[in-house]
Amino acid sequence: MFEMEELMTGTDAVAHAVRLVDVDVFAAYPIRPYTGVMDRLARFVANGQLDAEYIIADGEHSQFEIGKHASSVGARAFVGSSGTGWLYAMEAIGVTATDRLPVVALVGNRALDDPGAFGVEHNDALLVRDLGWLIAWASTAQEALDNTLIAYRVGEDPRVRMPVAIAMDGGYLTHSEHLVKVPSKEAVKKFLPPYSLGDRVLHPDNPISIAPQANEDWVMEIRRQNYEAAKRSRGVIIDAYREYESVLGIHYDNPFIEELDVEDADVVLIGMGSASVVARSVVREMRNEGKRVGYLKLRWYRPFPSEEIRKSLKNVRSVGILDRNFAMGAPDNQAITSHDIKSSLYESTNHPIVTDFIAGLGGREISRKEIRKMFNLMESGRTEKVYWIGVRE
Amino acid sequence: MSLDTNDLIRLEVNYRGIFQKTLAKHISTDVVYVAHSEGKTAFSNGRYSDDPQRNGVPCANFAYISKSLSEEDLEAEASAAMDIKEAELVIVLDDTMVKGLEPWGHYGIRPINEKVISGGTILFVSSRTPAELSKLFERKSFSYRIATIRGEASFSGLWYFRDDMTDVRVLGAIAKLNPGIASIESVLSYVKSKYKSDQKVEAARTAFEEVTVAEVTPEEGIVWPYPKPVLPGWKEFEEGTVVRAVKRGFSLGPRGQNRNTDFKRGTNRTQRPVVRFDICTKCTLCWASCPDEAFDPTKEGYYDVNYEYCTGCGRCADVCPVDDCIVMVNEMNLTSNESFYNQYLKNPSSYVEEIESIKGKERTIPEHITGKGNIVKRVEKPKAFKEVR
Repeated sequence: MFEMEELMTGTDAVAHAVRLVDVDVFAAYPIRPYTGVMDRLARFVANGQLDAEYIIADGEHSQFEIGKHASSVGARAFVGSSGTGWLYAMEAIGVTATDRLPVVALVGNRALDDPGAFGVEHNDALLVRDLGWLIAWASTAQEALDNTLIAYRVGEDPRVRMPVAIAMDGGYLTHSEHLVKVPSKEAVKKFLPPYSLGDRVLHPDNPISIAPQANEDWVMEIRRQNYEAAKRSRGVIIDAYREYESVLGIHYDNPFIEELDVEDADVVLIGMGSASVVARSVVREMRNEGKRVGYLKLRWYRPFPSEEIRKSLKNVRSVGILDRNFAMGAPDNQAITSHDIKSSLYESTNHPIVTDFIAGLGGREISRKEIRKMFNLMESGRTEKVYWIGVRE
Repeated sequence: MSLDTNDLIRLEVNYRGIFQKTLAKHISTDVVYVAHSEGKTAFSNGRYSDDPQRNGVPCANFAYISKSLSEEDLEAEASAAMDIKEAELVIVLDDTMVKGLEPWGHYGIRPINEKVISGGTILFVSSRTPAELSKLFERKSFSYRIATIRGEASFSGLWYFRDDMTDVRVLGAIAKLNPGIASIESVLSYVKSKYKSDQKVEAARTAFEEVTVAEVTPEEGIVWPYPKPVLPGWKEFEEGTVVRAVKRGFSLGPRGQNRNTDFKRGTNRTQRPVVRFDICTKCTLCWASCPDEAFDPTKEGYYDVNYEYCTGCGRCADVCPVDDCIVMVNEMNLTSNESFYNQYLKNPSSYVEEIESIKGKERTIPEHITGKGNIVKRVEKPKAFKEVR
């Protein structure tokens, strides 16, 4: 079922997933941390381990256009970028979603320029949260591989047909080495059906036109189709995880979120990405001290797991959001994840206090000590709605 | 009850950007595999801020090993930070880094032994003696050990890896210096299974047996001359990501030009160009070709290298049309970054005599500089000093 267990970086893990799904076309333009994937994929092609068209684009915009077009003719496609490169591709990213083409893209989270910075910030991936992309966040290299395999299955499902972004923290996850179990090609073949757009495929034998100009008498209906597909993706994701477990034996308690000691917790921190590893370690430590704390990790950000969050937080008194992003001038000056969590909680019977912790921007470390500080503030002594943790005063 | 990190072993691998990238990665990855083979938890990462690497820039990889911590706790403890604060074992793959490390701007020039803890060890791949190296360390308040395995720094290019067994030799030495990371038996069986080569196993075993170890006492070393920058708080600098230009300054003579004091890059250097001003024809090619604008024009029309800024790329020596006028010399053969032109002016003939004695008979421009193989030239009798009027 598994071909090997090897020490590899997060970007290597994603490259293995791309090899295993046997992509037909992938396009690349270098930007750290995404570059790690293209390096590894180039090696797979050179070594004959992957038979694919590897197209070096002249920039991220072309790169994402190549992915979109390849996908429209029935080729399984992979693209990706980071930070400012992701922004440069934004127009292509938009139309990939509205054309409902199931490209899978890695967004190796990187700060948005300026200043020219390489470290992790989640704003790049979060910019596409409302455009018709599904987004899955990884906190370990293994999860990055799993997410990528599952992303192809979910995105390509005829009930969905949406592009999927695999978000992964630059540096912390893309560039550190972890042991990863790599499934065999046969197992992946069993899990992932061949890519087919059915009669939507752009082919001389199937003459169609896509992406036409449409007036106000059409656009709203087209949006509504997309909206329904995003709603349907929830069920497809649940199916995919069930199938993933039955083929590969890899179990996830819940596809959308990951809870650690949340059930009887008084105080819960919510976050995503590699800081989850630190937060979970601190929760275990504080539990040993008798503190009723918990950590809730978001795995899928689109579709946003509102129901799961309401259920998970139904008895919690105080909630903290670990926001590795910025939202200048946003409601209550809190950052992005806070708003999605608070919106979800508005429909809940329980309305915990919500504190936003802006931390780790531009790759700044989020230490155990700082996570502890967040829990202590949530437990008692909170005087502000937002705290900047780790900024030089 | 807080997390017990008593048995955590932290390893720092210092290496030259690009030239030793693959070598360093071999070492940090192999350490993790060997520790795993003993049932320990281990994990490694590269310092993210070093990428994309520039030729010769001081870079670092890290590995963390623990007997008791779970994988996730080890990661929480170790991987949250992108730079290491302390290390039980520091490895240095090029001894010229003993002169200081300045990996990026506003970092300062930091001592190679900065991270070593009390009782810890710093290991060099070097043909120098431990005493020759430790006299350049920053003085510390405690004792620790210095170790060496004999050899010149192993350099490769961006696209290839020169397999001269430095990686397995370092693994052998690690087993000797910190058996808590891995025993020599585990190292040998790992090397055997990875390479299927008895020669490599032998190289690791020999390094294990022959590593030289000495004590570094609190009095040893120097008072570190370079300050560690204190970065400003968010209210203390300009808004809008403005970087003010270096104040213009241009006058003829050594140090006559103003340069960026926040990022000097002289610590990238493994070799430095040494100029024979007496035979220089003032053709300007060195000055014009220097990618780092490290030459100061002098009143007399010569070009003096500012060694604080010279990255040792070798371009000037490559373009210099006069035989033996600019020669690259191993950085360890020289101590001062002061102006050589000033020394020349003081006493031209003794300057020439001194630099010729340092240069030695063999002048090698290594492959990583020429891009077309090592260029070695043997000079039995250097050009005699030429009186200049």
